[in-house]
Amino acid sequence: MRSGNGDNTQPFSISSLVILFILSSATLFADEYLISYRSVIQDAIIYNETLTISHAMQKCPQNSFLNEKALLLPIKKSKDLKEIILQNYEEFLEYLQKSGMKVEHAQETRNSINHSTTRLTFQTHCFKVDFNDNFVTIAPLK
Amino acid sequence: MKYALVLAALLSVVSCASTDTVKTQTPPENSNITIVCPTGSCTKAQEVQKVEIVNPPVVKTVLDKTENESMVLNEQKPLLISVVGQGVAPINTASPAQAYALAKRAAVADAYRLIAEKVKGVRIDGQDLVQNMMVKRSTVRTSVAAMVRNANIVETTFKEGLCEVEMEITLNRSQFPH
Repeated sequence: MRSGNGDNTQPFSISSLVILFILSSATLFADEYLISYRSVIQDAIIYNETLTISHAMQKCPQNSFLNEKALLLPIKKSKDLKEIILQNYEEFLEYLQKSGMKVEHAQETRNSINHSTTRLTFQTHCFKVDFNDNFVTIAPLK
Repeated sequence: MKYALVLAALLSVVSCASTDTVKTQTPPENSNITIVCPTGSCTKAQEVQKVEIVNPPVVKTVLDKTENESMVLNEQKPLLISVVGQGVAPINTASPAQAYALAKRAAVADAYRLIAEKVKGVRIDGQDLVQNMMVKRSTVRTSVAAMVRNANIVETTFKEGLCEVEMEITLNRSQFPH
């Protein structure tokens, strides 16, 4: 006679494997990107603006999020993050600004002639990006 | 003999009373300072027994109470800082929409600068070069560096190439642990 113990453990192990696979795939599909932004304003006129987006080559060590609210952007055609961000540039920029901007300002008045330079910098942060069917979720990590 | 004893007692009482009396120097009119002087007229500081200030005047602080309360970050009440940043569109823009977008970028940066200046303060350096009794060069440098988080754009207006961005930030005491 066969004991019932072996038969009971087999379905449990299969189900646990399935759950493990789903969890691992969920974490694998959440991409990580490195994003930075910098703009230079000279005498109240924008001089230079740079937004850098690159796919993270290795997993980001951070666990907690910088901003409590994640940004949701709609996907129209492609699933390329650069294109999605460029389509919703104003919204994304406002989100970056709320997450925290470094401000550096210098002004010089020489013989009553004034010159000023302001730099706004969002230092490179790792962003967790989840692609869904109709929208993408972007959240910066600390 | 009896009378002699009574006389001696009276004399001793009078002498004791004369040593115990403390004369109070009358202060000049409209003064609220009272000087207690045992000799009657004190010429040296060591002779003064006590100096009293009657109804001391309340020292006026530089800032009024209400003004002070509005400027200092209170533990219970958060502080709202509002600024208006200005930015100008560049001359060579492809379209009015691009001009608006670029002017807005400059205005937002200016608003961030104003918030940083209000919260953190400004470093100011000045230099004057005088040669042969004449000012050759006068230079004033100001600078600020800060990290600004959770600032909100309230209103944006664009008129005749000038963009104005009204920005607000709420400061709480808990954000400044030290």
